[in-house]
Formats: sequence, C-alpha cells, structure tokens
Amino acid sequence: MVVGDVTTGTEVLVIGAGPGGYVAAIRAAQEGLDTTLVEKDAYGGACLNRGCIPSKAPITGSGLAHEAGNAEFMGVHADPAVDMGKMIEWKDGVVDRLTGGVEKLCKANGVNLIEGTASFVGEDTVRVAHGGDGQGSETLSFEHAVVATGSRPIQIPGFEFAEDHVWSSADALDADTVPDRLGIVGGGYIGMELATTYAKLGADVTVVEMLDDILDPYEDDVKRIVRERAAELGVEFNFGEGASEWSEAPDGGYLLHTETEDSEESTYGVDKILVAVGRQPVTDGLDVANAGIETDDRGFIETDDRTRTAVEHIHAVGDVAGDPMLAHAASNEGIVAAEVIAGEPAALDRQAVPAAVFTDPEIGTVGMTEAEAEDAGFDPVVGEMPFNASGRAMTTGHTEGFARIVADEETGFVLGGQIVGPEASELIAEVALAVEMGATLEDVAATVHTHPTLAEAVMEAAENARGQAIHTLNR
Amino acid sequence: MTVEEFKLPDVGEGVAEGELVSWLVAPGDRVEEDQPVAEVETDKALVEVPSSYDGVVEELFAEEGEMVPVGDVIISFRVDEDGEAAAGDDAEAEPEPEPDSPDESAAEPTTEAADAEPDTPAGRTFAPPSARRLARELGVDVAAVDGSGPGGRVTEADVRAHAEGDAGAADAGGPDDGPEPRPAPTPTDTGSDGRKSAVSKRGADDGSADAPATPAGGPDPAGRETTLATPATRKAARDRDVDIDDVPTDQTRDGEAFVTAEAVNAYADALESPASTPEPEPVETGPGTEPAVTAGDASETSAPASGDETVPYRGVRRTIGKQMERSKFTAPHVTHHDTAEVDALVEAREELKPKAEAEGVKLTYMPFVMKAIVAGLKEYPYLNSELREDDEEIVLKSEYNVGIAVATDAGLMVPGVENVDEKGLFELADAVNDRASRARERKLKPAEMQGGTFSITNFGAIGGEYATPIINYPETAILGLGAIEERPVVRDHADVESEFLDDSDDSTVVPAPTLPLSLSIDHRVVDGAVAAEFANTVMEHLENPLLLLNE
Repeated sequence: MVVGDVTTGTEVLVIGAGPGGYVAAIRAAQEGLDTTLVEKDAYGGACLNRGCIPSKAPITGSGLAHEAGNAEFMGVHADPAVDMGKMIEWKDGVVDRLTGGVEKLCKANGVNLIEGTASFVGEDTVRVAHGGDGQGSETLSFEHAVVATGSRPIQIPGFEFAEDHVWSSADALDADTVPDRLGIVGGGYIGMELATTYAKLGADVTVVEMLDDILDPYEDDVKRIVRERAAELGVEFNFGEGASEWSEAPDGGYLLHTETEDSEESTYGVDKILVAVGRQPVTDGLDVANAGIETDDRGFIETDDRTRTAVEHIHAVGDVAGDPMLAHAASNEGIVAAEVIAGEPAALDRQAVPAAVFTDPEIGTVGMTEAEAEDAGFDPVVGEMPFNASGRAMTTGHTEGFARIVADEETGFVLGGQIVGPEASELIAEVALAVEMGATLEDVAATVHTHPTLAEAVMEAAENARGQAIHTLNR
Repeated sequence: MTVEEFKLPDVGEGVAEGELVSWLVAPGDRVEEDQPVAEVETDKALVEVPSSYDGVVEELFAEEGEMVPVGDVIISFRVDEDGEAAAGDDAEAEPEPEPDSPDESAAEPTTEAADAEPDTPAGRTFAPPSARRLARELGVDVAAVDGSGPGGRVTEADVRAHAEGDAGAADAGGPDDGPEPRPAPTPTDTGSDGRKSAVSKRGADDGSADAPATPAGGPDPAGRETTLATPATRKAARDRDVDIDDVPTDQTRDGEAFVTAEAVNAYADALESPASTPEPEPVETGPGTEPAVTAGDASETSAPASGDETVPYRGVRRTIGKQMERSKFTAPHVTHHDTAEVDALVEAREELKPKAEAEGVKLTYMPFVMKAIVAGLKEYPYLNSELREDDEEIVLKSEYNVGIAVATDAGLMVPGVENVDEKGLFELADAVNDRASRARERKLKPAEMQGGTFSITNFGAIGGEYATPIINYPETAILGLGAIEERPVVRDHADVESEFLDDSDDSTVVPAPTLPLSLSIDHRVVDGAVAAEFANTVMEHLENPLLLLNE
C-alpha cells in the first residue's frame, strides 16, 4: 500500500464493481483497453452481496421448508425445522463463491483492480482513497470512465438503519433468527419477497403500505394473485398507511406507528421493522460535479442511449443511471458502455427489459401490458393461459396464476407478456426473446414446446390470442 | 397537407429508363425544391434527380438497383401548404449530417420513425437485435428499412440491401463518410457510393431489393434435404404451395440452409411467371462477361462460394463493355510502339509552367501531345477518319476532336476536346482539366462524350510504359501514353554534355526523359507503315516542341 499520492493513468476507469461495473470492465478489457476497476466495498455490488443473490437463498430455503410441511395432499408428511444460522451460512458461502468468481474473472481478463473510494477531481482524473490500514490515496487519470456506483436502500426519517431492530433489506438477509413478529414498511417487490419468506419461516408479518395495494407498477390481476397467496400464508396488509415512528413496547418488543392521510393512527406490535421503500442512487463522495456532471433531482445521472453522460467520455450505467434499476439492465448497459468506448456500434436499443419478482407465486413480466400497448398506439390482442389448465402446474401443486401474452393485432408482433405463477421468472425469458426478436404470435404458437412443461402455457397463450387455443376456451 | 407524387423525369436525350442507383433521401426526410433526391444512372451518365417540391419524403417507390422507366412515379412527398415544416424540426431538416457526429444521426431512428411511418405506433421497428446492430454499424436508420419478414419485420438482409444503395445513410454514419456534404459527389464518395449500390453480397440476395432483380431463367429447385426457417416462413411456403427445401438461399444458420419468407415469396413468384425474366439480353454477350451477367439462382446455388460477390453488369459498366466488345471484335487492331526522347518538351513545359500558373492554368504534357497529334493527323488524315462499312466509305474528318480517356470510379469515360487545332496550349490545358474533373464527378453531359475523331489514353499517369489500347470505335486510332520518366537512351558523345567524354563519333548510354507511345490503329483503314509514319511525326513534334508553334 502506497502512502502518499501517486498518479497513474488508465484508458478506462470503472467505478463500482456491481453487475454494471464489473461487466463493463471485463468487456472493456476484452476490447483490448487498459481498464481499471475501483471498488470500495465488495466485488459484485448489491446484487451479489445484499440483493438478488443473497435473497434467493432464504427464499428458496423457506419455500422448501414450507413446501415440505404442506404437502400432505400429495401424501408427504413432514415437519421441517429451519436452522436460520445454517441457512445464512450457506447463503454466505454462495455469495463468497460468486464474488470471488467476479474478482477472478476481472483479473483473468486483465482488469486492474483497486480497492478504495473514487471521487472525481476533474473531468479526466479521480482520486482514489484507499480503505484499510494504509490510508493512502492515489490520483488516476483516465480517458473514459464508467460510473457504476449503484444504489442503496432509502432510509425514512425516524427509522435509521443503525438501530438493531430497524432492518434494511440487507439486514433481513443476514438475520440468524426469525423474529416472532416482523413489521414491513413498503409493499414493493423487496418488501413482498421478504414478507413471503419470513411468513414461510414462521414470522407474523405485517405489511404497511402507503398506496392501496402491493407491487405498485403491476396489473391488478397480477397483484391480486400474489396478495391473496401472501394473505393465505398469514401476511397481514395495512394499506393507505405510512410509517411515522417506532417506540418501545412496555411488554418488550416495539410498536410501529402509522398514519393515514386523514391522520388516523394505528399501532402494530413488532419485534423487528424492515424498511423497504425503495432504493436511491449512490453518488455521495463521488463529486461528479467536479467532472461537470449534474445529477437530477432524485440523484440519478442522466445518460443517452449510448450510456454517455453530459460529459461524453464519462458513462454511467446501472442503478445510478436511473430506472429500471435491475441488475440485468445494468449488465446490458455496462456492455454497451464498454463497446461504445471501444468504438463499436453499440447502443441501448433493447426493446424491453424483463423483470421478475420472487414472491409466491413468482411474477415475470416483459414489454408492454395491454394498456401500455394501447397507449402506445397499437391495437393490442391478448391471449392467456391459466396455470390451472396446465397439467404440469397441477402436478407441482401450484396452479395459481396465468401466462399472458400481448401482441399487435394487425401484424401479430409480440409486444409483451405477464406471467404470474410457478417459475414465472424463468418462463418470461421466452416472451422476452420473442419481443426482442420481433417474433409474431404465430412464431411462438407454431414453435413446438416440450410436454409436459409450464412453458407450454406461453405457447397456449399465443394460440389463445389468435383464437386457436386447444386447451382453453378462446376469447 | 397534401401528398405529391413525383415521376422520374426525362434525364437525358433519348433515355427511356434509368437505374435508380441510390436514394439520397429516406422517408421522413425533409427536402427542399431542387434538392437531389436520387441518383439515376442511364447508359450515358449518372444524373442526380432533383425534387420539385418542398416537403417531407413520404414513400419511395423504387428499390435501389431497379430499372425505372421515365415517367414512373418514384417518390412521393408530403407537401405542407404553408410551406412550414410539418413534424421535422430544424435539426432533422438539415440536409447534411454533422460530419463529426455519425453516432448522433444514426441514433435517431426512434424520432425519425415517428415521422416516417405514422402507422407504426411509438416509432417501434420490429427487428432482431442483430439487425439493429448491423443497422448502426452501416449507419442505416432501421426505421427507414423496408422489412421483408412477416408483418414487415426487418432482417439483416433488409438492412444490408438498404445500406448498399443508401448514399444518405452511408453519409450519416457509414465507415467511409467524409467531411463532404451528402449531395455533392466528390470523386471518392461517388465512387464508394456507386460501388455500394452496385455490389450486393450473395448472402443478401434473397433480401427484398435483390431477389426480384436477379432471377435469370426459371428458378431451379434447390432440392435440399433439410432447411431452417421460422414457423411463419414455413406457413408462407405452404400457402404458396412451395416445398421449402426447394427454395434457393445462400443464408445459413449453424451450417444449415436458412430460408426467409421473402425468399419463399420470390421463389414462388418466379415459379408462377417464369417468363418474367427481366433481361435475357446480357446472357448472350461475350464469354468474358458471362460470370457477371448470369447471376441466376441456378448458377449460384450450384456453386455457392460464400465469399463471392455478384455485381450487376449494368449502366456505365455495361456501356463500356459493349463499346469495347464492338471495337475489338469489329476493328482488327494493330498496336505500334515507339519512344520519344522528350528533354526539350520537359524543358518547354518547365518554362511555360510559371506563366500558366500565373493565368491559373495547370499545365500538363497533355496539351503538347494533343498538338503534336494534330500535326500528325493533318499529315496522315486516315488516322482521323471513320470507316462506314455499310456505306462502303471512309469519312476523313475535317475537325480534330480529341477524346481523353479518364479513369473514374464508375469506369472509363472519354470526354472530348473539340477543335484542338484551333486552341492554344493553355486553352487546351483548361479544357482537359475541366473535362477530366467533371468526368470524375460524373457530371459530363452526354454530348461531351460524343463526336470524337481520335483518342488519347494516358495510362502512364498511373504507371507503365506500353499498352495495347482499344480504339474508341468508330474512330480509327488511339494513342496511349506511358509515363514520362528518365530511361537509358543511346546518344552520340557530341550530344552529351560531359567532361568525361571525348569528341569521338562513339555513342554512350545516358539517362534522359522519354515518353513511350502505344498507337493502336484499325488495320482495315490504315496500314502499319502509315501508323509508324504518323507516330514519327508525332514524335518529331514532341522532341522539338518549337515545331508545335506551327500548329
């Protein structure tokens, strides 16, 4: 570790080693560019360390335990016990393997790795303050930079994450015991995934949401299926209420106070409070203004369709560049950024970014809903296949939900799809391919799908949209 | 707002049709009156077709590479009555893209698409990522590409077909875009655009633009065992009652033949009307041209060499070919070679050069040669003649109109300089430079390439000593000029200034500037002896430029 200040140069500087940054760095190195990746915390970013991946481990674990304990209808009798500490240990092992893999991949591709916190000094230099014992710093000059600093959970006043009993989503994924009562502020996808998980692990879960339903951007019939299933698992919903404060309960535990718009107050007894009201971009300490870049009023860095910021040789990708704030979008943007820097004809011209919510049942969506297609000026035609008509769904014991496909009536082009049901996060990939390729309903319908699989539902939905479904009544 | 149709105007005397070489505009582009919208190549020249309207391009009715009869509607414009820009803003109306920002102009498909295709909602173009990337790579606005797939889906072949003729798009982001604004064809960009429009990769043959244009005979069934195609394409094949294994294609996926719906339809069309072969005529031409013109599906599928390119044999290229064929197969050529020692000529030019420059004239050797030729022609009028076989007469020309062969990117052009005998050296220099540069810009009028009585080909400008030039028929002779360079010549000691040589009658080899000459004649009209004598006269005038004062 060098104490003092040295200046080195790099062609491409990537700040942040999450799914946007490490992908950009590796691709830039593959393009033959001298690439340096600065990470202040952990390789893999929120996705690998505190988000996508670590959340899937307890979701799967709790799901398995719940399944096993509720399979009498198929003749399986079990009473599984969950060792929370062991589950977290297993999760940590997975995370370590993945983050170690990211570091190895970067090195194998010739990316220079620097651990530290970068802040812009000018439009072609950053200072990197090293963490750890050395406390040195170095100045790095760059020809191109990719800002990929990601996002962090939003804190709300009065609910600082510093308190033991106020959890961020990251804390909820590291808890080695299941609280008896869990209050969740926010019914978005993070809140709902964790509500489902903890309900299955045996907690009494109460969700407080300011809006009048969960999962705000999704369609009503999608929300309803997830909400009803969560209620079945024992999750209690309180809509139209905002969390105002917490207090200690006289009998131990805490009280979560909420307030409606009409100032009606309610109180819920809880042991832990998870705040999951969204994520905000991380730009503090980055001093982007020194590079001539401004952030918008929500703190995001604006970019064009080639991921360039207002300062052309500085790119921004991933959560810090705004919606959709999804890891796979960030990776896509990272690749585009690296290729644009390398002079390749890359651009963000993706037609749609699929999204998945790992609730029970799962949600997978891509492209336009029927209403969005109408707004965009299409004459949409919609086809659906309910999973209760799927033989494979029946034999998994999960028949709630449906696969829906939205297309342009005139040309048959697939515009989008919404799937809620078993394995929806996987099934949506086919619809995403169809949307991206410009496939028609006929293309999807005439592609032979394996029987018996859940994926047949996509084919049936396409047939249904054409009025030719075999296994459902055509609309 | 009204829609105006625009017909291919009469682009030159007696021209009934032209090949639409490239579109300079795309649907959605704003054009002004007199702005060139297309390049059309006739047998005689490449002309730019100007718009008659102020407005926004609505639709293009001809494919690049298509032969269009004069009077056919080729383009329509949305013309706004008040002359105000309808949807396009200033940036879009800009006829020339910012030369240093190809990315931007290529990145605008979404906004432009909204203008171009009001019926496609939200400017959405249905094309797979691979085609969209290719479009960016080729600088093509993917929204402006006609899709050949089901529902108008744009394939990679469609993008390629569009790019190959689209001068505008190439300027907007192509790899060869220069700082030159789009409509002005400089030698380089006319050339590259021209090639682009003419060359099509085999793989693109079943793209929309090429498929209808290429079938030569009735289509031969390909008779494959397996064929890859999308389900919609297979349905199209069933609908058209075509066996998909019989549809010719050069595309492959994973090593298997891949057929598009467009190829199916093209094949089905061809089956239904085997008589509609576009141009049977070129097939009967000489053996040398055969590979280029029998671009039929049969030959392509029987010997598919993946790297080959087929180039349409049309327009200027075909005109040159036919002209050469006619000359070489009609006139028995004899070529006479000799070398002029041009020390004095080099000196004379050096002396005159500053004077010429002062008058703004770039003085080359060409005017001297032309004058020397006129001297020769006056003495040997049969080299300035035309044999009219049918009339059984040889016409000895009274005028001395000397054609100058100019290599252009589109091919050989021979503009003429009239009445060389009546013009001074500087005047000739001006005339030659003017014709040559306009030939390279392809701005010659057809009349300027007619009426020659003798031609010069200055291949030496590129390099070389001797050639066997082909006569510019129906002229009788052509003089080829090698490069003027110092070469070893044998001279008497007396003629060489050197302190090392005595005054004896011995001779020695010294370097001296020489001009190699290659004179081809039509042996029907002139015998070799006359040719040699003519050459001697020309050489005499080149070696003693003072004699030119007489001319």
